[in-house]
Amino acid sequence: MANRNFLIGMFVLIGLTLFTIGIFLIGKRHGAFARHVEFYTEFKDLSGLTKGTKVKVAGMDAGQVAEVGVPDSPLSRFRIKLQITERLRGLVRTDSVATIATEGVVGGSYLLVGAGSPQAKAAAPLSTLPSREPVDMSKLLEHGLVLLKDADINVNKVGAKVDETLDGVETTVGNANDLVVGLKQGRGPAGMLLKDETVASNIRQSVTNAKEATAALHKASGRVDDMAADIQSRGVTKKVDETITSARDAAANIKDSSKQVHQTVAAATKPDKHGVDAGTNVRETLSNVNVASANMTEDTEALKHNFLFRGYFNHRGYYSLTNLSPENYRKDRLFTNPENKRAWLSAKELFIREGNSEVLSSEGKKQLDAAIYKFGESVFDRPIVIEGYSNGADPANDPADALSSSWRRAILIRLYLQNRFPLYPTNLGIVAMKNSPPNGLGYSEWDGICLVFLRPQK
Amino acid sequence: MTNAIEFVGDVSVFSLRAIADLFRPPFEAEQFWIQLAEIGSRSVPLIVASGFALGAVMTLHTRSTLVTFGATAEIPTVQSLGFFIEIGPLVAGLLMAGRVGSGIGAVLANLRVTEQIDAIESLSIDSFKFLVVPRVLACVIALPLLTLIMDFSGLVAGFVAEYAASGISWHLYIERAFASLDWANFVPPTLKTAVFGFIIGAVSSYFGYTTSEGAQGVGKAATNSVVLCSLLIIVSDVVLVQCIAVAFPRTAL
Amino acid sequence: MNPDDSTAVFFQSVSKSFGAKEVLHEVSFNVAAGEALCILGRSGTGKSVTLKLIIALLRPDAGKIWIEQDEITTLKTEELSRVRRKIGFLFQDAALFDSFTLYENLSLPLARLTSKSQEEIDSMVVKVLREVGLAADKKTMPSQLSGGMRKRAGLARALVLEPKILLADEPVSGLDRITASEIDELLLQQKTERQTTLIMVTHDVHGARRVGDRFVVFDHGHLVAYGTAAEVESSDNETARQLISLSS
Repeated sequence: MANRNFLIGMFVLIGLTLFTIGIFLIGKRHGAFARHVEFYTEFKDLSGLTKGTKVKVAGMDAGQVAEVGVPDSPLSRFRIKLQITERLRGLVRTDSVATIATEGVVGGSYLLVGAGSPQAKAAAPLSTLPSREPVDMSKLLEHGLVLLKDADINVNKVGAKVDETLDGVETTVGNANDLVVGLKQGRGPAGMLLKDETVASNIRQSVTNAKEATAALHKASGRVDDMAADIQSRGVTKKVDETITSARDAAANIKDSSKQVHQTVAAATKPDKHGVDAGTNVRETLSNVNVASANMTEDTEALKHNFLFRGYFNHRGYYSLTNLSPENYRKDRLFTNPENKRAWLSAKELFIREGNSEVLSSEGKKQLDAAIYKFGESVFDRPIVIEGYSNGADPANDPADALSSSWRRAILIRLYLQNRFPLYPTNLGIVAMKNSPPNGLGYSEWDGICLVFLRPQK
Repeated sequence: MTNAIEFVGDVSVFSLRAIADLFRPPFEAEQFWIQLAEIGSRSVPLIVASGFALGAVMTLHTRSTLVTFGATAEIPTVQSLGFFIEIGPLVAGLLMAGRVGSGIGAVLANLRVTEQIDAIESLSIDSFKFLVVPRVLACVIALPLLTLIMDFSGLVAGFVAEYAASGISWHLYIERAFASLDWANFVPPTLKTAVFGFIIGAVSSYFGYTTSEGAQGVGKAATNSVVLCSLLIIVSDVVLVQCIAVAFPRTAL
Repeated sequence: MNPDDSTAVFFQSVSKSFGAKEVLHEVSFNVAAGEALCILGRSGTGKSVTLKLIIALLRPDAGKIWIEQDEITTLKTEELSRVRRKIGFLFQDAALFDSFTLYENLSLPLARLTSKSQEEIDSMVVKVLREVGLAADKKTMPSQLSGGMRKRAGLARALVLEPKILLADEPVSGLDRITASEIDELLLQQKTERQTTLIMVTHDVHGARRVGDRFVVFDHGHLVAYGTAAEVESSDNETARQLISLSS
């Protein structure tokens, strides 16, 4: 009898204990036993958010959506009441932004409230937090595709126009870079027309942009290939697969088109007997090309930030060496790491004056060759950044314009290195630093350039 | 056909009588405790062992699948959802249909065949209340408790298997296991086994209590109990899952 | 008609069918208080059914049954309980509750149907067990008892309430001669010492003639003979004569 009652007692106790544990653990996840603070936020698009959806503050589970108020007209937005556990209240500021995020490719959505800035006041209970409309993944891809298509059309248009105008041009030029150098030196009729520095710089910029866009796209599409293969091998839904394929196709299109542009521009700027007319057209065309290639750069940029590709770029440590802003550059540990190999070359050694502008001296070329040689063979597959420095003492320019002078110097060096060595264009970055190197490198001021050989990332 | 309908009617009347008699004194408390010990406590080893084996096997299977998606972090979630929503309740129900259903069927049939039920009646003891009601009630109460034991055994085994594979910490495992679990995934599926318990108690009692054959009837009652209980548990599960989905449209899975 | 005070059990035109099979057809007989009635008949002729009708485990399809002054076919459960309190039933295979000890088997009826204290129950159980010679087996489970012991234990349970009427369904079947006569002796003892009315279904003519005062013989659901041994022997029914004959 006693034995029997013991058995029953154990059985009932174990069962009830487990029930309590279950209730408690689920309650903990819902924060049912924690004190809550309630806030509001508003969205135009709910993206699958429902009552009970998890709320995270700065990535930590914080509570759930308590209510979803449906708008009565298309003009107003869904009003969402969210509960946030008392513990995380300190992170919620008046400038905390609420967004709807997803837990990975197959996960559900949750409401993410960003940690606010310390300057902002703590958000009062029941206040409405600012929100950012969610970006739908499929819409993002769609958007990217539209952009790519636009760029494609633009490039084709430009190509057609150039073709039309320069129908008579027959001889081809192997390399646009050579041409630009030629132009720079004022050779040929087109060169005469384009001798003014702004135009020459424009052309250089355009060609570089076009090349970089091509290379970036090439790389990106290669990456897309890898990812597509990867995703296919994991058998994720066909839809994603299809989207990736179309993104890849579009990227391939751009690659072709920009190649075309590259060739056309090369053909267009070749010295030629058509003289003035051609030159005028070239100017116009170049400005078109500039716009088009800028578009392309934007597109690749958009691609880079797309979540599918983000991981790859994060892993590499930087998005692109193309548009390094001096400000970001100085802050980025990747570039200012003292462990990077550096070659400091002064302006005196590198440049000689030729007319109004600076060109590389033969001594300078030797110095550069030696510097590259010193970096060793791995230089050909690691990124190099060319930091241009100038104290603004160039008499041809506004003395204060150290920035543009340092920029030009960097461009010159890049052109040289590109022609001289088998360097991958995307691996060559330029940045204009005026006359002040980043802190902690032992130079407070520099006039010339500095080649930075980035150390491998882990 | 007529027989089948009559059978359904008989079982229904029998089951309703069990419910009605439950609320009509006198209460056979002593018999209830005896049955709760027999049906509940003595089933715990079976339930724990099955839950453990099933939990380990399930983790091994889900792991091999989820690992190809790189979704190994979801293993505890899959394990807990699987066990709390369906595997725990259903397997506990079916195991009890086998162990308890056959037991009740055979015991009551034996009581009938050896005239013990007549003997009880001859003492003016309501044999239905004395034999059937305590068994049905014990099943109804024991099943949810056994289900909980099964659920947590499966979870513990899942943890052990996952720990062996990836060295996950207990804390993280529990955290993830309950991360996606809602009230609707825990309470209603656990309580629905009370219905399974009622089916087991009522149906197997029916077969045992109403047997009219000799020794052969005992075996037949046991077999029929298991077969019909298992079938009804699975069928009612379909209905109950739908009911839960209707009652908790937002969170039930 | 109502039975007089001396009547213990009275059957009036009782019929009972199971499905299409009629096991009793308009059977009438009466048993006086203190009398021992033996019911004889071939297997499946409604003998056991008669006993179950008396204790109201079965209800007749037609006819009336009196237990003393109560017509039981129309009684409600509570009143029936009062009537049953007067009747002890020794089942064919004793029908001891096999999940209970011998003591629990005997104390259950006392606990359920009387308001006796635990001590009184204890002493009564011990007394009855001593009467049937099982005083040492209080804590034994029924499955551990031999056939004869089970019968005696069943008898003890039937007697523990000190019934006025004792029903015995084949009390000696499956027992050896000596054990059977021990059981007969116990039954006779009840009749003579306690003036218990005894209604016994049996195939054992020796025991029946030793214990029984009067006999009824059933054949195919009909009562074919009714009276003392001598009366049945001289009955014009062949089956009745065969059943009562000692040489069978």
